[in-house]
Amino acid sequence: SWNRLYAVVVGELLLLLLLFLIFTWAFS
Amino acid sequence: MSRLDWAVLIAALLFVVLWGLYKGRGAATGEGYIGGGRDHRWWLIGLSIVATQTSAITFLSTPGQAYVDGMRFVQFYFGLPLAAVLLSITVIPLYHRLKVSTAYEILEARFDLKTRLLAASLFLIQRGLAVGITIFAPALVLSVLLGWSLHANILLVGTLVMLYTVTGGTKAVAWAHSSQMLIIACGMLLAGIMTAHRLPAHVSLSDALHVAGGLGRLNVIDTHFDLHSRYNLWSGFIGGTFLMLSYFGTDQSQVQRYLAGSSVTQSRLGLLLNGMIKVPLQFLILLLGALVFVFYQFHTPPLFFNPGPVKQVMAGPDAGAYRALEGDFARAREHQSQVAEAYVTARHSGDPATIATAKGQLQQAHAASEIVRKQGVALIEKANPGTNPSDTNYIFLAYVLSSLPVGLVGLVIAAVFSGSMSSMSGEISALGATTVVDLWRRLIGGSQGQREVWVGRIATFVWGGFAMAFAEYAARLGSLIEAVNILGSLFYGTILGIFITAFYVKRVKGGTAFYAALVAEVGVVACFKFTAISFLWYNVIGCVAVVALAWCFSFVQPAEVQPCS
Repeated sequence: SWNRLYAVVVGELLLLLLLFLIFTWAFS
Repeated sequence: MSRLDWAVLIAALLFVVLWGLYKGRGAATGEGYIGGGRDHRWWLIGLSIVATQTSAITFLSTPGQAYVDGMRFVQFYFGLPLAAVLLSITVIPLYHRLKVSTAYEILEARFDLKTRLLAASLFLIQRGLAVGITIFAPALVLSVLLGWSLHANILLVGTLVMLYTVTGGTKAVAWAHSSQMLIIACGMLLAGIMTAHRLPAHVSLSDALHVAGGLGRLNVIDTHFDLHSRYNLWSGFIGGTFLMLSYFGTDQSQVQRYLAGSSVTQSRLGLLLNGMIKVPLQFLILLLGALVFVFYQFHTPPLFFNPGPVKQVMAGPDAGAYRALEGDFARAREHQSQVAEAYVTARHSGDPATIATAKGQLQQAHAASEIVRKQGVALIEKANPGTNPSDTNYIFLAYVLSSLPVGLVGLVIAAVFSGSMSSMSGEISALGATTVVDLWRRLIGGSQGQREVWVGRIATFVWGGFAMAFAEYAARLGSLIEAVNILGSLFYGTILGIFITAFYVKRVKGGTAFYAALVAEVGVVACFKFTAISFLWYNVIGCVAVVALAWCFSFVQPAEVQPCS
């Protein structure tokens, strides 16, 4: 259960990174 | 400030102080005062961690940074979620199992007393100085923009913080943090909504983002690897992870927040909550700065947002030249506003060729007005020799005071005070705890119990007084303020290296880590003095140097401390 929570935290970071990349590309 | 603004500000500050006093009453032992009773729930720990890290200058400066430089500062926080996960797996269970009150206690058990005192002293020196700057910087912005007395401002913030921090200890600090985060969240959220609402009626949010992006303000991610660039994907992920591991794992101002958890689970959840909300939070604050930038595409901003250095120019021989530049700047921005309107109209037409042409014209108009602004800044630098005049910290509050409605101005000012108070309270509480546990209890042999509560209160009071005195003195420091901020980043990597050596390099014993840390610190200072490497990388260099040197030194450490087979 802890590993699942850690995966959620790291997954959220990777998802944000992807969204930020799209955001940077879309509005540049 | 209208009467309504004053009413909102006073009500918010009273709420914070009374809430902290009420929730912090009843600490009967030193452990209860320093450890907060060790009964905190995860959400209280999470809010307290975020509030300690969020100083007033964080959200005065962050929107200004987006206005001037774009949103790439968010990359600074990319290491935070990774650090939260790594610390949840490693140090939180260890700290709970050993029932430590400060992080530095572990170092004596593992190495020796002088290594523990080295880490504790580095924390006391750099954090003791930094907390003074924490309350000085926002007080300076408020005094310049609102004409308030700098000394009265520092005295007010310091006194309010000491009221509940000295009496109630860690528990009072944590509960006050929850109320401060509520005020900060409301202030920033309403400021963001109102900023989007105050854009011209025909400018949609999508238009606004395209205007900001077209002028280079939405550059969230920079994938280029460059050791000299302060914020890019790699410095954020690698250097940022090392910095956050050190800050959240070894800095008592943060360790104390999650050691107050009722169990390993509560402490872990609190730290992971911080790991999940910090990056989106910083992104939204930077986005607010980008929206302020767009607002000023349709309204003429001042040439320089900080009126202090401008007064120096106007009192000197360049007053006429500066006034002429102000006229040129106003005309350039008037033209830029018209071009921005044309760009929005072109976007509504949907024709790619028209949009591309209008975007190019907007970029040219912006470059032209920036040339005039740079000429103005050059005159300001000439009139203020030896200083580094910057208006980044003034942009957001100047915008709030001139453009947001009555009532909301008071709420944003209350958020500034809350940020100042939240970081000061967390830091002087930790400074007091380290003084009691690592100096008084260890060196003088003080006992736990009711007497230690009073020693803790005196230590916290002394550190609060020192912070206020240093903040008063900081006005005379000039660019040395930057040196105080840099001071922290010079030590974090080395301290992290000592802890990693303690946990994972079993053959290192006794004072070996102490000498490795001293040599590594010389290396970090040399990097700072003689190279242009960005400060986030110092954390990696310092940490790796300590671990490597300690391992090498362990082969020549005295025989009596060689590890048993």
